[in-house]
Amino acid sequence: MQTPDITYLLPLFFVGVGAILLMILSTFKNINIKKGAIASLVFLTLAIVSNIYNLNTLGDIYSVYPFSDVFNNMIVVDTYASYFSTILILGGILTILIGLHYFQRRKEFTVEFFSLLLFSVFGMMLLVHANELITAFIALEIASISLYIMIGFEKVIDKRIEASYKYLVLGSLAGVFFLLGSSFIYGATGTTSIGEIGIFVSNNIDSNMSLIILGGTMILITFLFKIAAFPFQNWAIDVYDGASLPVTAFMAATFKAAVFGFILRLVLVDFDLIRDFWDDMFVYIIIFTLAYGSFLAIIQKSLKRMLVSSSIVHTGYLLIAFVSIGVIGENAASSIIFYLVAYFLSALGAFGLIAYISSEDQLRITYDDFRGFSHIRPYMAAMLSVFMLSLAGIPSTIGFIGKFYIFTGAIESGNEILAIVGITATFVSVYYYFKLIAVMYFYRSPEMTDVPPLKGIAPLVIAVIALMIIWGGIGNTLIAYFPGVDFLIDMAKLSYKSLFIL
Amino acid sequence: MDFGILSVIIFLPMFVAFSLLLLPVSSKITRNIAFMTAIVILLLAGMVYYNFELTGYMQFREHHSWISSYGINYSLGIDGLSLIILMLIATLIPCAYLWLWDGRTKGYWVSMLLIQTGITGTLFSQDLILFYFFWEAMLLPVFMIIGMFGTGNRVFSTIKITVYTIMGSLFMLICILYLGVAFFYEFGSWSFALNDLIQITTLSRAEQIWLFAGFMLAFAIKIPLFPFHTWLLETYSNSPTGGVFLLSSIMAKLGVYGIVRFVMPLFPELYKEFAPYFVWIGIFGLLYFGIAALMQINIKKMFAYSSASHLGFIVTGIFSLNAYGMTGAAYLIIAHAMATGGLFLLIGKLEYDLGIKSILALGGIAKKAPLFTVFFAIMLLCIVGLPGTNGFVSEFLIILGTFGFSQSAGIVSALTVLVAASFMFWLFQRAILQDNGNDVSQMKDLNLREVLGMLPLIFLIIGMGVYPDWFFYKIEPTIQHYLIDILEIRT
Repeated sequence: MQTPDITYLLPLFFVGVGAILLMILSTFKNINIKKGAIASLVFLTLAIVSNIYNLNTLGDIYSVYPFSDVFNNMIVVDTYASYFSTILILGGILTILIGLHYFQRRKEFTVEFFSLLLFSVFGMMLLVHANELITAFIALEIASISLYIMIGFEKVIDKRIEASYKYLVLGSLAGVFFLLGSSFIYGATGTTSIGEIGIFVSNNIDSNMSLIILGGTMILITFLFKIAAFPFQNWAIDVYDGASLPVTAFMAATFKAAVFGFILRLVLVDFDLIRDFWDDMFVYIIIFTLAYGSFLAIIQKSLKRMLVSSSIVHTGYLLIAFVSIGVIGENAASSIIFYLVAYFLSALGAFGLIAYISSEDQLRITYDDFRGFSHIRPYMAAMLSVFMLSLAGIPSTIGFIGKFYIFTGAIESGNEILAIVGITATFVSVYYYFKLIAVMYFYRSPEMTDVPPLKGIAPLVIAVIALMIIWGGIGNTLIAYFPGVDFLIDMAKLSYKSLFIL
Repeated sequence: MDFGILSVIIFLPMFVAFSLLLLPVSSKITRNIAFMTAIVILLLAGMVYYNFELTGYMQFREHHSWISSYGINYSLGIDGLSLIILMLIATLIPCAYLWLWDGRTKGYWVSMLLIQTGITGTLFSQDLILFYFFWEAMLLPVFMIIGMFGTGNRVFSTIKITVYTIMGSLFMLICILYLGVAFFYEFGSWSFALNDLIQITTLSRAEQIWLFAGFMLAFAIKIPLFPFHTWLLETYSNSPTGGVFLLSSIMAKLGVYGIVRFVMPLFPELYKEFAPYFVWIGIFGLLYFGIAALMQINIKKMFAYSSASHLGFIVTGIFSLNAYGMTGAAYLIIAHAMATGGLFLLIGKLEYDLGIKSILALGGIAKKAPLFTVFFAIMLLCIVGLPGTNGFVSEFLIILGTFGFSQSAGIVSALTVLVAASFMFWLFQRAILQDNGNDVSQMKDLNLREVLGMLPLIFLIIGMGVYPDWFFYKIEPTIQHYLIDILEIRT
């Protein structure tokens, strides 16, 4: 049976329409934060259901261009994009569920915020579905501009405005590189469609490629900026630290995934033959990203800034797998995807829980503020520990499996040096992650007030994330039909294969 | 899914620990349940011991697929060496519980149970990733128990031991992954099972040396072998009694176990080639830590060094490349665990009653607590190696093995044993027997429960010393298997 084209686009459709509808709804007086959250959750849930329906029913792997006469193959729906979309929509849902308590406590948050969040998710989804450079640029800007506003949403706090402005200026500058790169590539190949660039490259591999390489380098600069890799990492700490915690959680968890989703497609499909050119450069970028990120993370006193700095380190791990693609395409790509999921869960959990803990006041910021926390809120402390362990890559969490894939891939592709550098960074990370656990458990509690109790939807969602992290680390097919570790990596491999269906 | 007895031994404590954590039970009930769990494990271990066949190969195998895309399996099994360490753990832990009976909180018992899971898991794993999994996971409850219940600058020593050990194990992880990749390139499929990885033939000599070094680093830190011992002093002196007991008597032995289980079969040629170095490092450690112990006036620190000194001797034994040395090392693993474990428990009591750590502030304990003194003396004599204790048998065998290895090493090792005797007797005379006029009136003698906890150890120390053959026969085939099949040495 022929599936109607609209089925493929339903996830995008629901999120996009939801965003616009919420924008309209926000003008009504009797729509409060809670109703707005419920409305956006409804749209996101519809989107994720239709997305999973696509993943399930369209066969093991698929790749289609819906309404190709209208969109001219600008949008592709394949297993790969659907897999990423699932992560992104889930990121939106979890952010709303976790942050709701926080949003309700702050006067400045209004219903428009959810509209922006949906726009941002829409932009990111479009980014992973994009099969064309200009579409990708537009998608990137939709996502970014929504984020700029979301960061500055609490306009009474100077820090937010500063972060928002900083991100706006620097992010736009990085975006310009993308456009310039695209035009170089267009100039060389006469097309901006991802598949066609790849065909052009493989047909003319013997001729001069310098213009395409130049364009590709420009695009990679944008990419490195957006994932906060060295030397484009300095904005990250101020921006992520300046944003309110739920927004930080959302950005950290989803944006990296979306950007990686697009760039992997571009590199795997288009630049597969000329990628060697960048390999050396990436080795240095990785070493500096890991070293500088670790250094930043060690010196931070604020928990939030530490988590943000460590996200730079995680970018470094992801890039290790990124350079391994040349030798072991499938394993490396799927290890990136797996690691993104692992990081997504751990970061969302960690930021989300801290957001919840500090939603009554803004007092708990530094390590010292968490002294003796386990004596007041034992379950929250346990969950926070799980997230720290997962970020540090300790066995029995999903973070360990993610690191296992990445380092195995690095060794497999002959990058032992990178594996050793990565392991060293992991070793350093034990220090700053375990410090929080030590602070929470090893001190008697001082007076600590206004910690919200363990009830309501947010702690429940965070607990589910913590369980997923543990299940992702030890789970196998013990429970029949319940997806374990194997499931995620198998799905990642399938989605990799779907990139190459013609 | 059918789970064998080994899985039950591994996961029962963990299951109990998490149930206790979630249920609102008092620390007393927690303790009672933890003790019963330890007894059940002892019975199960007894069943394994009884059914263990006299061969040198893996038995009680269990095999389940875990991460199939990389050929990682949940694969368990035990041979003679694992068996004796299992028996050791199963016997020691309930005894220790009897000693830790009063005044511990719920978190303490939960941590102890979790450590037991980590230790037994490490002991049974036949897959390197699974081994690494337990090896690292074991660290978390240790981290908690030292940090939460330790004394002194506990937070610093906790971070120090954690960072130190994780450094070693992360480099081991890289080596494990490297072996897995080498296997993949040679045979075209993924596997991290020990039996598969020993078939790799493509590694160059340089690669082998690096991998050998990576594994040895992780184990040397855990043992600790000179010069990777700098975490030892603070950790031992700041740990709570239960933590230091487990660290010294059981977890340190896992480092030795790791060398025999993984390094030996994976790199048999290098193992033989570098054996002389390690024999000498072991002897040097024996001497160095012995002298260091001589200098201490803090009683816990003295035993920390004494423990490290004997572990050096064990390493000498396993690298002596003959049956005497290896059997002696296996025997010393048990003897040392009993004696040091027992001593740390006794010191824990001393510290608990008197609140004193310094030897100079003690004295005249013998009058106040005669039973305590008797037990202390037996443990001490076992460490010194008095004939009639298992300490004697094992030290004698290792010295014999070292002589077989090289005459000079044999002579030196025989002489250095004297160092242990000197500081032990000084301690015993100064702190226990001699009346220095210090106030030790708070010291209580052992009660019935504590005597019950100590009796099995005493029984084994003397029993194993008088009739060693009873205990040798289970492990002998394994040692022969190591020497003849793996190292290809004729004895």
